[in-house]
Amino acid sequence: MIRRLILSAIIVTLFIGICLLPQAQPKLSQHKRFTKVTYDGVHLSPWQGPWACVLDKQNQLLWEVKTDNESIHDGYWTYSWFDGVQGKRNFGDCYYEPDRCDTSDLIRRTNEQTLCDQSNWRLPTATELSSLIQNPTSPAQPHIANDFFIHIKQGDYWTSEHNQPLPKQYRQKGVGATAINFHFGKRYTLPYRNAAFVMLVADLPAANTSPQISRRTTITQHKQE
Amino acid sequence: MDRQTFIVLHVVAILVVIGNIITGFRIAIISQDWLTPISVLLPQGEMHIWHLGFAVGITLLIIYYVCYSIRSPLRSYPSTYHKLINYLGYIALLSATLSGWCIWANIYSQIFRPIHQIAMWLMIAYFVLHAWMYILQKGRTVLSVLLPKRLNLRHCSGIVCLVAVGYFIHTLTLNASHQLNVLTIEDSVLIDIDGKANEPQWQQAPTFTVTTIGGANFTDGATQVSIKALANQYESYFLISWLDESKSTNHLPLLKTDNGWQVQENGFYRFDERTFYEDKFAVMLSSGCEIAGDKTFHSGDKPIKNKPKNWHGKGYHASLDGHVRDLWHWKAVRTNDMYLADDNFIGPPSEHLKGKRRYSAGYQADGKESGAYVMNWQWYSAKGISPKRLPNTPQSHLEVLPWFGSKPYQETQDTYPVGTFLPSVLYRSNRFEGDRADVRARGEWSNGRWTLELVRKHNTHSQYDIPLQTGTCMWVSAFDHAQIAHTRHIKAIKLRYSL
Repeated sequence: MIRRLILSAIIVTLFIGICLLPQAQPKLSQHKRFTKVTYDGVHLSPWQGPWACVLDKQNQLLWEVKTDNESIHDGYWTYSWFDGVQGKRNFGDCYYEPDRCDTSDLIRRTNEQTLCDQSNWRLPTATELSSLIQNPTSPAQPHIANDFFIHIKQGDYWTSEHNQPLPKQYRQKGVGATAINFHFGKRYTLPYRNAAFVMLVADLPAANTSPQISRRTTITQHKQE
Repeated sequence: MDRQTFIVLHVVAILVVIGNIITGFRIAIISQDWLTPISVLLPQGEMHIWHLGFAVGITLLIIYYVCYSIRSPLRSYPSTYHKLINYLGYIALLSATLSGWCIWANIYSQIFRPIHQIAMWLMIAYFVLHAWMYILQKGRTVLSVLLPKRLNLRHCSGIVCLVAVGYFIHTLTLNASHQLNVLTIEDSVLIDIDGKANEPQWQQAPTFTVTTIGGANFTDGATQVSIKALANQYESYFLISWLDESKSTNHLPLLKTDNGWQVQENGFYRFDERTFYEDKFAVMLSSGCEIAGDKTFHSGDKPIKNKPKNWHGKGYHASLDGHVRDLWHWKAVRTNDMYLADDNFIGPPSEHLKGKRRYSAGYQADGKESGAYVMNWQWYSAKGISPKRLPNTPQSHLEVLPWFGSKPYQETQDTYPVGTFLPSVLYRSNRFEGDRADVRARGEWSNGRWTLELVRKHNTHSQYDIPLQTGTCMWVSAFDHAQIAHTRHIKAIKLRYSL
């Protein structure tokens, strides 16, 4: 009887012990391709923020992250395609230029700002930008990783690819530039005068090409969050 | 009753009662946090369906045992102690079974829910006092008494019959539903979606009342919801009213403290806020009518294979059969002034995004063309935030800050004194446009009651909406300043149109 009582007590204690063990929280895991980077160039864990750029390990690029704070990076601003020589000057809509906006305005202002410690911001190539296309996880979202690329509209985004023959409906406008549409996840050639969105990109200097956050840094940052 | 028959019934009863208890605990955890430590011992998933299955099993066993005992009672001579404990077992089992069926049938659910839980604890007490005592007294020899020595054809066929009848009754009870008759109105009748319900047609429409239980902050966790429905050739109108003593529109307010701006919260970090939140109401529609939201609720902290854990341990909404369920989510702050309910859906579990702390499985918003509400912080952190925008002119604490009545936050302009509150909700534009704006809605609170009017086309032709027609099933849930801790009812409400 005493042995059975002791055995029962052990079983009950075991059950209580299991119940009182701290239960695991959802786990943070790193994205294979993207890392959040702050305005000052500090790397964040996936659950931290705010961030101003995204490091693209696959392409060794840094992407501009759009905002909704009416700064030059606001995702609502649109731009006509213009590289200083070719294209259409000042045919987009933004608040930060005395006139209207074109792609060269955003590039100039972002380089002046040295966003994320970079001053080599440019338009992405069509291949670079279309490498961001991925199926949305919800019908309300654009065809991009919206956990890293926030404030991306379901519309056209300019690339650097230009001098492209326009499709039939725009033929009288001559040539245009390639845009990637994140609503459909497809590429189109549009007249330079079209107002489209822009997401800039910067090539990483050779020294920064493998900026892997150490495990210790990530965990510390997670705790701080 | 011969001894071997009793032993067979006893073994089946043990299995069925244990099944009932563990599935019941998992269901109880949804609204009772103090039970969370035992979560690790419990199964996860579609527990309501399993619980109902075990309930059918124990009900059939009780009926079979009583009928058999009347015809041919078992002769046994337990000690006075065990005789008394057996009476406790009978009372607990009967109370748990009857109260459970009353909750299922929506008969005084708010009264029978606590009775059901007390009965369950009595059942556990019975298990300890009956089974454990026998084990202590007799040790391993209990097994030789407990397990049948031989199974004859009569026992096997009896068990097969019980399982077959049980399966049939389970299917019936799983798909049983209430009915809401929809009153037909002329196309020319104008129903103003204003939350006032002062059109005479509402007086003529039949009322269906359902008691919803298990929510946070309501008295005893329950509120009665009354529903009326009208339909013309094109649209269906719903008038929904529920008791809620307080109008809650204090949605995650931002408070200026000595350490900067802070989100006022009590659980928002775990996505289970229950203090600083708006009132809400949800209507789910499905072409299927199975209990507990037509198989869309999966309880537990990790109920879906290969999907991440949730922060609150309660569960996920998702459709694992590939079919979409429609979900209208009216929010007293975020959508009420848009005169809309957020048109959402429950679909297959979405892909997990590594950059987002919250994973919501199958609960998703329909697509939209424009319009949005956004939260008034640049990035949420439990330790402090920076507001996204400040009001153009200092003003009293509003529920919603309009985008064009505010300016981007700048530290130099943040001269607000400690103790200042700011709204956390910004209307980016007036309202949603597109698929997400299919449900027009307006709620008004008066004298401890919300009155909500909703209207939607019978068929929106959206792949994320369910057509409103005879046979469409509906569930309703009320939220009293709670993010996810909503009330619920078991059986579906089936719509019946006379058009």
